[in-house]
Amino acid sequence: MEIPEQVSKKRRLVTSVAIIVEAFNLKKTYLLGKVPVNALRGVNLKVESGDFLAILGPSGSGKSTLLNLIGALDKPTEGKMLIEDVDVSTLNDGQLANLRRRIGFVFQFFNLIPRFTARENVELPMAIAGLSKADRRKRAEDLLETVGLKERINHKPAELSGGEQQRVAIARALANNPKFLVMDEPTGNIDSKTANEILCLIKRLNEDKAVTIIMVTHDQHLAGQSKRIVQMVDGSITKEVVN
Amino acid sequence: MKAQDILSYSFGAIRLRKLRAGLTTLGVVIGIAAIVALLSITQGLQATITRQLQTGFATNTLIVSTGGGFGGGFGLGAEAGGAANSGFKLFVNATQKISNLNNTNVETSMAIIQRAGWVGNATTNRTTTIVGVDFAEYASIYSGTFVAENGTIPLSPENEMIVVGKRVSDPWKNENLFCNVNDNIEIIWTNATTLPPKNEAYTGHVAAVLKEIGGFGVGGPSDSSVYIPISQAQSFFGTEECNTIIVKLKNDDKATIDNVSKAIEEAFSDQVSVTSATAVLNILSSVFSIIQLFLAGIAAISLLVAGIGIMNIMIVSLMERTREIGILKALGMKNQTVLLVFLCESVIIGLIGAAIGIASGWVLANVVAVVFRGGGIFMGNQATNAGGMTITPLLTPTVTILALVFGVGVSAIFALYPAWRASKLKPIEALRYE
Repeated sequence: MEIPEQVSKKRRLVTSVAIIVEAFNLKKTYLLGKVPVNALRGVNLKVESGDFLAILGPSGSGKSTLLNLIGALDKPTEGKMLIEDVDVSTLNDGQLANLRRRIGFVFQFFNLIPRFTARENVELPMAIAGLSKADRRKRAEDLLETVGLKERINHKPAELSGGEQQRVAIARALANNPKFLVMDEPTGNIDSKTANEILCLIKRLNEDKAVTIIMVTHDQHLAGQSKRIVQMVDGSITKEVVN
Repeated sequence: MKAQDILSYSFGAIRLRKLRAGLTTLGVVIGIAAIVALLSITQGLQATITRQLQTGFATNTLIVSTGGGFGGGFGLGAEAGGAANSGFKLFVNATQKISNLNNTNVETSMAIIQRAGWVGNATTNRTTTIVGVDFAEYASIYSGTFVAENGTIPLSPENEMIVVGKRVSDPWKNENLFCNVNDNIEIIWTNATTLPPKNEAYTGHVAAVLKEIGGFGVGGPSDSSVYIPISQAQSFFGTEECNTIIVKLKNDDKATIDNVSKAIEEAFSDQVSVTSATAVLNILSSVFSIIQLFLAGIAAISLLVAGIGIMNIMIVSLMERTREIGILKALGMKNQTVLLVFLCESVIIGLIGAAIGIASGWVLANVVAVVFRGGGIFMGNQATNAGGMTITPLLTPTVTILALVFGVGVSAIFALYPAWRASKLKPIEALRYE
């Protein structure tokens, strides 16, 4: 990470009150065949800069739908989704794409590009954002070092373990200095020992580098490591716990 | 995203599916190669024929014949003229009528009598066309082609003097001569006006062998004809009737040609047809344009098939990469960039295909030309044939650029729909795609 320790701590202090994600009465209705499914039934949520929020709930509770809205991958049927005070519903495709460049995604199934090496995968979002080859190369190497994969830079995803692939994915999510990271079951597809290492990495990013993290999980233990938990059942937030 | 990054991304995607991309490229290669080969051969052929016509075919001449068009003017109609059409006959003394027009654009005119016949030496007979002309006039009108290679063309010839085309003298193109200057050969034709028809012959003395003219002696001298003095033709064939009259004009301006054509048609009460060499050239060139268009059209079909192949592969590629497109969009790639990535893949295939296609089309054209040349030697064995023709395939920059544009264009157009579909994919749906 390029932000030196002191500066990042300072930023944390200054921006600790800044709200970067704000949801008002968020509703999302899908059509499953011809049957409408109310995935979200009026969700209100605030995420401050530097937060580490876990969205906990069983499958079908609407947590992934909420995450997609927070990540600007989708638009709500009703209600407002503000990211840094900008209403996502009002943005066109191009503006949404620009917004997504400033959001770091980490998926359950890693979603790396198989033909690219670890470094090329981390370079990809920077290439999309139009960074020069030299700049993104350097930054990709630094980021891979941060997630502890310095030795595996030139390996393709197929040559990496699940944990290693997820580290690459985290490095990729951090590439464009995102406002926050959106994680969908980041440890859902890796063994528990490696999952612990990934969790440590995520905590370290949040605590040391002041990276805001919004994570969806159905794992109680994992959620317990966050700063704040919102519990979702049937498309609504039923409980909020501050750890 | 920078252009070079889009390019390298697309290139990487192509390299991942080498065989498939290779086969798609092959489709473009075949289409472009067919177009380039056909066009460069026909253009070469046209250039060769036009060049030969222009030398053998003085542009400042008119060909007057009875009835049907320029057929008589080609010197191919060995049977007696087109007289059958209207019953109207053109006689040798019709030249008098033309000079009586006192048209200042007319320089001179001369009659031609020709018959199919044979020439015979001590060992064999060969078919030929016997052409009766005024040697002096003929030499002045066709000063470029009625030229002796060996001997001299007699300007006021004795009756038995003859001039032979190069292929009559050397029919096998191997210096194993059928006849040479100062040889005596038999001139034979079948007189069908008597019953039963009978062969008539006399011994001609070869005064000159013409230099080689090339494929066609349209209207003018030909490599495979034998020339006898007009007066001899009149008595030998026992007729005053001529096949054609060649009129030499002051120049080859369109106005001059039209003016004289009209005057002659009026003088003969519209019973003759007047064909200008220039008009024949124009007709030939428009015929060639049509042939080219037709052939290019056929070749374009193969390119169309290639285009459909591209569309097919791009749609398959789109399906396979739906998830990848979802990832790219989640990482902030814009719709038009996704479109460009897909179009770029197809354009790369088109570009490589077109480049290889142009090169292999050119090679193919040359191979065909060599094969054709071989056949030409074979065909040259027949004395009546126009002789072997050398086609030099012609690849103009226009054709090259057009082929390139066409190859790339077809690839891009057929990729447009799959690329557009890729660009319109919704990120969450694409990410969910298995």
